[in-house]
Amino acid sequence: MKRFVIVLMVALFSIPLAADALAGGGGPPANVMKGIFLKVNETERTAVFLRDGGEKPSDLFLAESVKLDKIELNKKMMVELDEHADQPNVVKEVSTMFIDMTRNKLFALLVVGLIGGLLSGFIGSGGAFVLTPAMMSLGVPGAVAVASNMCHKFPKAMVGAYKRYKYGQADIKLGLVMAVTAIIGVQIGIKIQKYILNHWGNAGSNLYVSTIFVLVLVLVGAYVLWDAQKLAKGSDDKGTPKLALAMQKIKIPPMMHFKVANITLSAWVTVPVGLFTGMLAATIAVGGFIGVPGMIYVVGASAVVASATELIIAFVMGMWGSIQWGLSGLIDIRLTLLILATSLIGVQLGALGTTYVKDYMIKVVMAATMLIVAVSRGAKIPGYLADLGLRSPLEAQSTSLLNAVSFWALVAALGTAGLIIAAAMIRGMAADRRSKKIEGAIDLG
Amino acid sequence: MTTTEFTEDTAAIAFAEAGEQQEAKRMPGGSHADHHQGEAPPKKKPFLQTAIFGAISCSAYFLLFKNESLITETYTMGGWHAAFPVGTALFFSFCHGAFASNLLNILGIEAKK
Repeated sequence: MKRFVIVLMVALFSIPLAADALAGGGGPPANVMKGIFLKVNETERTAVFLRDGGEKPSDLFLAESVKLDKIELNKKMMVELDEHADQPNVVKEVSTMFIDMTRNKLFALLVVGLIGGLLSGFIGSGGAFVLTPAMMSLGVPGAVAVASNMCHKFPKAMVGAYKRYKYGQADIKLGLVMAVTAIIGVQIGIKIQKYILNHWGNAGSNLYVSTIFVLVLVLVGAYVLWDAQKLAKGSDDKGTPKLALAMQKIKIPPMMHFKVANITLSAWVTVPVGLFTGMLAATIAVGGFIGVPGMIYVVGASAVVASATELIIAFVMGMWGSIQWGLSGLIDIRLTLLILATSLIGVQLGALGTTYVKDYMIKVVMAATMLIVAVSRGAKIPGYLADLGLRSPLEAQSTSLLNAVSFWALVAALGTAGLIIAAAMIRGMAADRRSKKIEGAIDLG
Repeated sequence: MTTTEFTEDTAAIAFAEAGEQQEAKRMPGGSHADHHQGEAPPKKKPFLQTAIFGAISCSAYFLLFKNESLITETYTMGGWHAAFPVGTALFFSFCHGAFASNLLNILGIEAKK
C-alpha cells in the first residue's frame, strides 16, 4: 500500500511538469472555442459570441454546414472553427456543451461503464474505443466525450492497478518505465496526426486512423488468438515467447530487473514497446492493444502481469491527458462520474476475475475484442475512401448499412467480452469452491 | 510456540494420523493443528464500511446532480480549474471504489487466495 501511494504521489506531482515540458501536443484541438451566443443573424449567417473568460464578444461567420436551429442563446455552446476557410472566424460546427441528462442516457452510461470497467480490469485496456463513440451518439460533442472519458480512465485504472498490485500481478517498475516512453510516443503520434490532417484534411485523417486501427487490431488480434488457442490445447502455459527470449539476450546497459514480471532485460527493449503504445494511444485512443501484447511477446511478461501493468501505464497517461483536457475546460464531470459509478465495480470484478482463470483466457478475451472492434472500424473505411475521392460515393442505403454494422459490432465486442469474462469467472469460482469442499472433507477425514 | 505447545501439537498430530481424530481434537494442540489444515477463521463482513462509504458516495452523487449547472460551469472554466474535475474524479475513485470493493466482499465475490 505504502509503495502504491508513493507511486501515486510521484505521478500526481510529476505529470503536470511533464505536461508543461511536452506542451504542444496531446491536448485538445486549438480550433475549438466554448462560450455563449449573444446574437444570431440568420439571413447574413453571422453571430456574436462571447468566449469563456473573455470580456469582448467576437463576430463569427456561420458556414453552410452549421444548422442554425442548433444554436441556443445564452447557453454554453462549443464552436469548431474551420482552419482551412478563406477568412478567419468561420464556424463549421456548433454543439451544446452539456447534454440534458435523461433517464435513458443515464442508464446507457451506467451499462457501458460497467462493461468497459470489466474489460479494463480483465485485459488492462478497453472501454475507450466504445465509451467515446457511445457518448457522442448520446449527443455529447466529440471533444467533451474524449475529455470526459479520459478523466474517468485514470481513477478507474488506478483502482484496477491497486487491486491487481495487491494480487501480486502488477509490476510497478515496468509500468512506470513503459509510461515514460509511452508519453513520448503520444507526442510522436500527435505530430503524425497533425501532419496528415494538414495535408489530407479530415477525411484523410479519418482514413489513416481507421486503417491503422484495422491493421493493428487484425494482425495483433489474430496472433494473440492463435497463441491462446495453442495454449488452450495444453502446451506449456508459462512458456516465454521466442522473441522475448531473444530480447532478453540483449545486454546493452542499463539492465533492469522487473521483480513481479521476473525478467531481467535491457531498458532499451522496453522503449519501442512504450513508444508504439503511446503512438497507438494518440491514434486510436487504445494504447493497450499494443502495450499488452508488446509486454507479453517482446518483454516476456505473462498475460496476467502484462494486463495488470498496462493499468499502471493507463493511469499515468490518463492522468496526464486529463490535466491537458481539464486545462482547456472540456471535461463534463457528470459524464465522468456516471461512468465511474459502474466502471469502478466492473474494474474490480474484472481484476479479481483474473485470479480464477488461466493465462490464455486473458488472451482469448483480448483477441476476441480486438477482432470484433476491427470489423466495427473497418465498416467505416469505404465512407472515408469516398470522402477522399478514392472511390465512387456511397449510396444512402449502403452508408446506413455500414453505420449499423459498425455500431452493432461495437455492441457485439462489448457483449462477447462481458460474456466470456463472466462465464470464465463463474466457472473458476465454482471450481475453486469445489476444490475447497474436497479439501475440507479430506481434513475432516 | 512454547515447548509444551509443541509437544501437544505433535501428540495431537500423532493421534490424528493414527485415525483418532476425536482424541486429537480434544487435545489443546489439536484445535491448533486443525487450524493449520485449512479451516480459516470466519471473516467478518465489512457491513459498516460499506454503509459509510456507500453513504458518502450517494451524498456526493446527490450533491453533484443537485448543483449540476453550477458544477459543470465552474469545472469547465479551464486553467487552474482543471484541479476540480481531476480532484473530484480522484475523490470519487477513493470513496466509491472502497464502497464497491466492500460490496463485492459482502456478496462473497473475492479473489482466489
